Amino acid sequence: MTRSPFTNPYVLILPGFLLSAFIILWPLFQLGNISLSEVNRFGQIRGFAGFENYLAVFNDPDFYGALWRTLIWTFGIVIGSIGTALPIAIVLHEDFYGRGLARVIIMLPWAVSLTMTAIVWRWALSGESGMLNSALMGLGLIDTNIQWLAQSSTAFPMQILIGILVTVPFTVTIFLGGLSSIPDDLYEAARLEGANPFQLFARITLPLIRPFLNIAIVLNTIYVFNSFPIIWATTQGGPANSTDILVTYLYKLGFRFGKLGEASALSIMMFALLLFFTLIYVVLAMRGEKE
Amino acid sequence: MSAKWRRTFWSWAFLMPFVVLVLFPFTVMFVTAIKPATEVLNPTWWPSQIQWRNFVTMWEATNFGPALWNSVYVSVVSTGLAISVSIPAAYALSRYQFTGKGFFRQFLIVSQMLSPMVLVIGLFKLVVWLGILDNVNSVVFVYAAFNIAFTVWMLQSYFSTIPKDLEEAAWMEGASPFKALVKVFLPLAIPAVTVTAIFSFINAWNEFVIALTMLRRQESYTLPIQIFSLVAGRYTIEWHHVMAAALVATIPVAIIFAWLQRYLVRGLAIGAVK
Repeated sequence: MTRSPFTNPYVLILPGFLLSAFIILWPLFQLGNISLSEVNRFGQIRGFAGFENYLAVFNDPDFYGALWRTLIWTFGIVIGSIGTALPIAIVLHEDFYGRGLARVIIMLPWAVSLTMTAIVWRWALSGESGMLNSALMGLGLIDTNIQWLAQSSTAFPMQILIGILVTVPFTVTIFLGGLSSIPDDLYEAARLEGANPFQLFARITLPLIRPFLNIAIVLNTIYVFNSFPIIWATTQGGPANSTDILVTYLYKLGFRFGKLGEASALSIMMFALLLFFTLIYVVLAMRGEKE
Repeated sequence: MSAKWRRTFWSWAFLMPFVVLVLFPFTVMFVTAIKPATEVLNPTWWPSQIQWRNFVTMWEATNFGPALWNSVYVSVVSTGLAISVSIPAAYALSRYQFTGKGFFRQFLIVSQMLSPMVLVIGLFKLVVWLGILDNVNSVVFVYAAFNIAFTVWMLQSYFSTIPKDLEEAAWMEGASPFKALVKVFLPLAIPAVTVTAIFSFINAWNEFVIALTMLRRQESYTLPIQIFSLVAGRYTIEWHHVMAAALVATIPVAIIFAWLQRYLVRGLAIGAVK
């Protein structure tokens, strides 16, 4: 058989590899460069600055607020969505009438752009005209309108709830994959031995979907940590930066205040953190493959 | 039989709170979109009269047409670009053993994790350097590149399920590897390519932060940016128009996605196992 370029795997993967490597490495190199330089607000480099930009980030009090909220945001949504998705997935795994419809409805938030979801919620949460206030009043749960997005004490929890709502579909999907990998005869055997439903869950379901649980935690942590549209389209981090998380703080630093040096330094630090999460994922995924 | 009915009752009863929460924003969108302009600010659940005309007036008022065209252009071209470089790469991964295969797969995983968000300032510089700021082609290029990891992953998992025998038979008959690829393999791979392309399309359709950064003039806005611009930093917001626009931009894609999501589950699952 003659060798043709179409049988050479390196030729086949080259275009895809080059394009995706370029789009990551070139910007990364630029970020590294800017973060160590003195730059003006148009991104022109004026000279070497060492770690000054990094120090400036650490000296900004807003940074610590955003960092703290990023932790609450990420853990709140990851724990909330896993806690919600696991029982939903278990119910959806059972056979019942209308299951197909139920699955479609529960997957819906995944299909809608986060921007649109956030804009609709911003409208639904508005104080005088919002449908949420009107619904809650109709149910008799509140008797005065709440200005949900006007202060961070209600805005931020609401944003986390929206985050949970849109993260559940993906998480349910992972769990459904995990549940369908458990053979049915395990449950039958355990039932014959007289195990109750709680024991079935604790002794069979939970240990066997453990790898899927790990993957869901790591992937969701990465996605939620990076999630920008929900906060940006509801409050833009306001009022007075009180709902900023790192990504919105980064965006403001770079594109509103024109502090490109500091924004780049922050990007590099976030990049390192993400790389760390990703390595955890790779290790977990490889361990799963070996098993 | 009655056991299944009982299970049906309890399952739906259990899922109901979440179902209500999911459908709530869609209801809000729909009810607001059909309200007459004078009633929009009253938070009632049904308008005194249904104003279908909102969908017509919305088109002009929100500059919907050009933004729709930009979204279609960006999503189609970036998907085409991503798919055309991903098919050969996925084919290589599913058919050949070679040194560096493991590295390439790890690279794909890592690049899938690194969202454009942390690179956004570097990407902005890149787009300025290429001279395509404010040009829809800037986001085409970025979307395509960031989608490659996902499309290669999905395609490879489906390609692995297509038996190798058929191409080998074609080689025996004297077909060149290229001819075997185009005439025998690709026709079998069309369903997989279509499904993957649709997901890539939806990703591009819904993307926000890159478009927000790169597209600064209204002529280049895609739908999410256009609709966002109608509510961001404005004192008077025409909510019935905004909701009508959001509904029209969302529903077609949501239906396609809901219909195809089981393929997404299968593709990702096979890809993770193989």
